[in-house]
Amino acid sequence: MLGKLSLSALPLDQPIPLIAGAAVVVVLLGVIGWIVFAGHLPYLWKEWITSVDHKRIGVMYVVLGLVMLIRGFSDVVLMRSQQAVAYKSPGFLPPEHYDQIFTAHGTIMIFFGAMPFIIGLMNFVVPLQLGVRDVAFPTLNSVSFWLTATGALLVNMSLVIGEFARTGWWPSPPLSEVTYSPGVGVDYYLWAIQIAGIGTLMSGINLTTTILKMRAPGMSYLRMPMFCWTALASNLLIVAAFPILTATLAMLTLDRYLGFHFFTDERGGNSMMFMNLFWAWGHPEVYILALPGYGVFSEVISTFSSKPLFAYRSMVAATMAILVLSFMVWLHHFFTMGPGGDVNGIFGVTSMIIAVPTGVKVFDWMFTMYGGRVRFTTPMLWSLGFVVTFVVGGATGVLLAVPPADFVLHNSLFLVAHFHNVMVSAVIFAGFAGYGYWFPKAFGFKLHEGWGKAAFWFSVTGFVAVFAPLYVVGLLGMTRRMQHYDVPEWRPWVLAASAGVIVMAIGVVCQIVQLVVSIRRREELRDVTGDPWDGRSLEWATASPPPAFNFAVLPEVHGEEAYWGVKQAARDQRRLREEPSYEAVEMPLNSATGVICAFFATLVGFAMIWHIWWMAGLGLLGAFATFVIFAWRDRVEYEIPAETVARFDRANRATRAEALASLRRRAA
Amino acid sequence: MSDTVSQDEGGDQRRHADTAPGDEFGQEDIGAGLRGYSIGLGLAALLTVASFVVLRTQLVWAPAIPLALIVFAIAQMGVHLVFFLHITTGPDNTNNVMALAFGVLIVVLVVGGSVWIMGNMNRNMMPMGPTAPMESGMPGH
Repeated sequence: MLGKLSLSALPLDQPIPLIAGAAVVVVLLGVIGWIVFAGHLPYLWKEWITSVDHKRIGVMYVVLGLVMLIRGFSDVVLMRSQQAVAYKSPGFLPPEHYDQIFTAHGTIMIFFGAMPFIIGLMNFVVPLQLGVRDVAFPTLNSVSFWLTATGALLVNMSLVIGEFARTGWWPSPPLSEVTYSPGVGVDYYLWAIQIAGIGTLMSGINLTTTILKMRAPGMSYLRMPMFCWTALASNLLIVAAFPILTATLAMLTLDRYLGFHFFTDERGGNSMMFMNLFWAWGHPEVYILALPGYGVFSEVISTFSSKPLFAYRSMVAATMAILVLSFMVWLHHFFTMGPGGDVNGIFGVTSMIIAVPTGVKVFDWMFTMYGGRVRFTTPMLWSLGFVVTFVVGGATGVLLAVPPADFVLHNSLFLVAHFHNVMVSAVIFAGFAGYGYWFPKAFGFKLHEGWGKAAFWFSVTGFVAVFAPLYVVGLLGMTRRMQHYDVPEWRPWVLAASAGVIVMAIGVVCQIVQLVVSIRRREELRDVTGDPWDGRSLEWATASPPPAFNFAVLPEVHGEEAYWGVKQAARDQRRLREEPSYEAVEMPLNSATGVICAFFATLVGFAMIWHIWWMAGLGLLGAFATFVIFAWRDRVEYEIPAETVARFDRANRATRAEALASLRRRAA
Repeated sequence: MSDTVSQDEGGDQRRHADTAPGDEFGQEDIGAGLRGYSIGLGLAALLTVASFVVLRTQLVWAPAIPLALIVFAIAQMGVHLVFFLHITTGPDNTNNVMALAFGVLIVVLVVGGSVWIMGNMNRNMMPMGPTAPMESGMPGH
């Protein structure tokens, strides 16, 4: 009846996961109970859970990403404290538990921390920057989000029910085959990633279509803001690369469930094929995450330097070059696993070449700042911190691209330090820069600067303090994923890295305090005009927070910096544009399709993990029925009357006229 | 999914400037459409029959038969793209052609790269049967 599921799946005999799991369950139930009893459920259901508004979905993606980043960080605290005490001793985490933690850390940080954070920013910002009212397929967008949330839920369920994979975040066969991993850990990994992966793929299709087909009148490709270009490249990569991951994991699933032999050791299976295919997705994935990050930095650096982006077209060319090159380097993840010198040589060279367009971008950012009036706000600090740390990470990357060097450094902590160095700075720093930069647009008030700067300095200091020692100890020969060690030379560096985690943790606390303080002081941090940073692209042309329809009248675009041109004209002529004639706006209706699909997807995933076949069938049937009901719906849109649109826009125009007048008074 | 999103005149203009594969062509009469599909069907059937004929008869030099089959297969794809998916070189098809080119590039890179890499590994790696001594340790990981 319940497949492999029984009471023994609960960690009743292991105190650490039991207490951690119980605490999470209690907190979760408490939050849900508070929502229900305080009467917030109808609001949440109508305004957020069933919303198909790209802004709301974007915010929910970012919230999911932030929560999961903290979850992934708690794994870091466990791993670093284990290594701090496990010198010539077993430490406090047994190996089978330690292995689950580093696997969960990688899986969560990539798939459920970084991906939702970046996709959330793209979801929120891209339609606003393009000057349109929503993404191409609003309900599909909601389905994508909730499927991603399903994946995150399944990974977290493994904390309490059963176990997670012990294979590392790429579940390499034959270790991940049923012979060597008979438990449900790898199955949790597979189904969580597959379900979230469907969501990601649909999100990629959605945003690609939006960018290619739905720009404001006059916005040709070469007038799109840089963030839209990087989002386009990133989503094209999602569309091209995620099917590889899905197919590869499907083959591993067939191996595990139906006794196939794609990647097994016997009967013609080839485990290196898994490596090859996984990294054919894995390296583009790096750029799926990093490219939108580059876009965020381009926007932030240009805005806070009060200058147009330097060499915009070279930045576009560099982005598209990275898009293609990212599919030509994947072998460098397994230089040491068997290819000959000719293959290694060519992939080494392509890996070095991809540093060229990235270098072009770094110079473009520096020249954007050069001669500008740079305002050192929190998002700008994150960008500057990125440029410095990213160049270090990039340089060690070029070093690792030399195959002979890689033979020395492969799977050492030097490699771990390298990819954290580039990924954290290009993705997490970008995330926080974008979070601070677009927060006032999303909620109508700015984040507190003092706490933001504190968070930045503690995070960056902690980040350097963690990974600089790991470079050294990697050169001293320490490999990754060690549960305990007994080399005295490593000890001080490992302790230094653990101390760095404490500093980073203070940064995390500062981030949370910043949010709480900003919400409490939101009246004094209020963004009245909708343009708090003296911005240059179209998202700043509407109110903060934007109305459901984004723009009262779709903006006409006449140049590279659509909003800057309008603003300069207003300043020169000392008045706003003529009031447009307002028309009623049609917007898509809310839909519960996404969350209901995700409910059934959770059933399917959980049932497949525990071999509860009837429940899997039920879930599939339910998901299909949901789709059919959605496909046969009668009403698609609702109308916002012209008076409402006009009232909203006039209110915003009044604040802008006031801002213009005060600017003139100050100048006089 | 068919959520329609409010589009202004600019959006409508762009819609004319960019047709999706399978879009109905309002201007064309049914006769022209039917003729196009019939030619396509005929060519597709011809290419299918031709590949069987080549295999069964002596028309082509035997060692060249695989090459001939590859040529027919690629021609078959071309027929499908032109007559059924309506890929043209016109300006209303730029996105479709770009998407096709990108897709072909990625498939060539990933499939070609995988064949090359795996073949090279097979030549390089010692067979590790149960009897072979593992003097150099496990590769990788």
